[in-house]
Amino acid sequence: MAILVDKKSKVIVQGITGTSGRFHTERMLKYGTKIVSGTSPGKGGQKVFDLPVYDTVEECVKNQNADTSVIFLPAKFVLEAAIEAIYAGIKLVVVVPEHIPIFDMLLIRKEAKKHGSTVIGGNTAGIITPGETNIGIMPDIAFSPGRVGTVSRSGSLTYYVADTLTRTGYGESTCVGLGGDPVLGSTFNEILSLFEEDEKTKAIVLVGEIGGVYEEKAKETIKKMKKPVIAMVGGVFAPQGKRMGHAGAIVEGEMGTARSKLKALEQGGAHIAKTFLDIPEILRKLRI
Amino acid sequence: MRLYEFEAKKILSEFGIPVPQGKVITSSEQAKRFAEDLKKPVVLKSQILSGGRGKAGGIKFAQTPDEAYSSAKELFSLKIKGFPVEKILLDERLEIEKEYYIGVTLDRLNYKIVVIASSEGGVEIEEIAKKHPEKIKKIGLDIDEKLFSFQAFGLAKMIGIESSDIRTVGNIILTLWKLYKRYDAKLVEINPLVLTKDKKIVACDARMSVDDDSLFRHPELEKMGVEKRHEEGEMTQREKKAKEWGIPYLDLDGEVGMFPGGAGFGIMGNDFINYFGGKPANFMDSGGGPTPERLAQMLVLLDENPKVKAIFGARFGGISRCDDFAKGVVIFLKEHGLSKPMVLRMTGNMWKQGLEIFEKAKKDNPELFKNIEIHGIGTPIEDIAKRAVELAKKAKK
Repeated sequence: MAILVDKKSKVIVQGITGTSGRFHTERMLKYGTKIVSGTSPGKGGQKVFDLPVYDTVEECVKNQNADTSVIFLPAKFVLEAAIEAIYAGIKLVVVVPEHIPIFDMLLIRKEAKKHGSTVIGGNTAGIITPGETNIGIMPDIAFSPGRVGTVSRSGSLTYYVADTLTRTGYGESTCVGLGGDPVLGSTFNEILSLFEEDEKTKAIVLVGEIGGVYEEKAKETIKKMKKPVIAMVGGVFAPQGKRMGHAGAIVEGEMGTARSKLKALEQGGAHIAKTFLDIPEILRKLRI
Repeated sequence: MRLYEFEAKKILSEFGIPVPQGKVITSSEQAKRFAEDLKKPVVLKSQILSGGRGKAGGIKFAQTPDEAYSSAKELFSLKIKGFPVEKILLDERLEIEKEYYIGVTLDRLNYKIVVIASSEGGVEIEEIAKKHPEKIKKIGLDIDEKLFSFQAFGLAKMIGIESSDIRTVGNIILTLWKLYKRYDAKLVEINPLVLTKDKKIVACDARMSVDDDSLFRHPELEKMGVEKRHEEGEMTQREKKAKEWGIPYLDLDGEVGMFPGGAGFGIMGNDFINYFGGKPANFMDSGGGPTPERLAQMLVLLDENPKVKAIFGARFGGISRCDDFAKGVVIFLKEHGLSKPMVLRMTGNMWKQGLEIFEKAKKDNPELFKNIEIHGIGTPIEDIAKRAVELAKKAKK
């Protein structure tokens, strides 16, 4: 068991003929991800690493029963690509590019809900179920199969957390990159609920950062959960009103400070970690 | 990114929303001259990219041109939240009968565009929400839903607008929603919307903030120079230089130069430095998949910053590869040279190749590496952060 993806996921790469599409397709294949094809409108019939390239997502679904897509395209093409995948019946769309316009993401989310698809990102490092499938850009060196689920707004922090869990022997069930953009395809609440239902996951590490209200709103979900949640939030010392790399990482007005997020998460019952090394300590105390 | 009040008002007025007669001035002499032309009492409003300017003394009233002159002089010598006042909006002073709030904003959690109106204007909407939640009326819309006239009129009615003004105010609400959509805005706000003593409806103050990531669709906003701003405040020279190089960068007050990979760790890394008793000199992010040249430029920014006493480097190669990271560091060492101690950790995609690049460069040019300590996955990142704080403290002495 795992959440959202496993070794049976049939993955397509939208933008497979581009430089980063190609580079990460090769890496994902090496990991064992079951990539069945890719799309690049106008390049149908070509091959990339022996994988067929199609003009449309519909062909990938019709010919190969693809159910998952990962997008490697410039931000301004993501609206079209994501909605194409959703309409074609893809169940999980992973949006790797960053800086997706907010209005585009609102529409993508609406169409996804309407058609029963899940969207992860924008600006996600992807999603990995270690030992089974790795979809996106996550470096496999950090990960090993195990019992802790992680969900994080940042790619680099996902790696550090996984690296810590791997080195201390806990390993990870599934790691979900929520994404660094201001409006995201999925929320902490939704991913936490999936982990709560997942047999393999014994505890969850939630990594948040300044900006937005997704962490604050996770409080209510955490309260209802049986499984322990360990939370870490970046930006305790962040300045006001200045965007820190991620499009979504900015404290605007009273909204979205790290302190308000940590307070809410703690009130929800989450265990707070200040550094990565605190995580295995807390797990040990919880006897996970 | 936030627009200045005068920019927001210009857009409102282009869309047919009445704003006070006004002009942007950059000198006290201009203040006097324009007050003379207006032949009315005026209000002088400091133009800064931040809220709370009223409380900070950034707004002054003047009855005569001479008063306008001296008030402008005072404001130009002022710093509000650390931002110097370089421009003043000089508006005719309105005789106010009643103040309202109207705005359009984004509800990120519920994925809605929210049209808001309140019978309480002139204070921040967060404050109204706390003190008088019952006085706030809202309509939530999906991105592809339309705001109908009857809904806008209904909002106006709910906040107590008289029937004779329902169409005027309703149409302003409708227009505000239209321009929110037109500009890919995050926030458009008229606060207060004023009913004057002579029964006119005027947008007395306006605030607008647009989605940075949609600027490619709005060349007219790019022309205004909004991309070289923060949400609050203009950029420093070094921040502008970084922006030209495509590097997300912020100047901070400390002494540890931050050279992390990834924005998330960039943010958390700054916290770590603080937890371990240091202060970061900057925030930086390489963005996804930086070229070696860009990585070298990142180091140039830090090495040339006199505040930086030691550099903390971290790379967990995901979309960005360790071989490129190592190449970038080597380019920097060869072409620029490192004048401060640096400790770094590198692991992730292509870490072996990265390590080989370092080893080869070191063999060829050992003296280039005398200030650097390089670690791999075996050392926890916390230890690297502690070491950077230690090196910065040592260098300070």
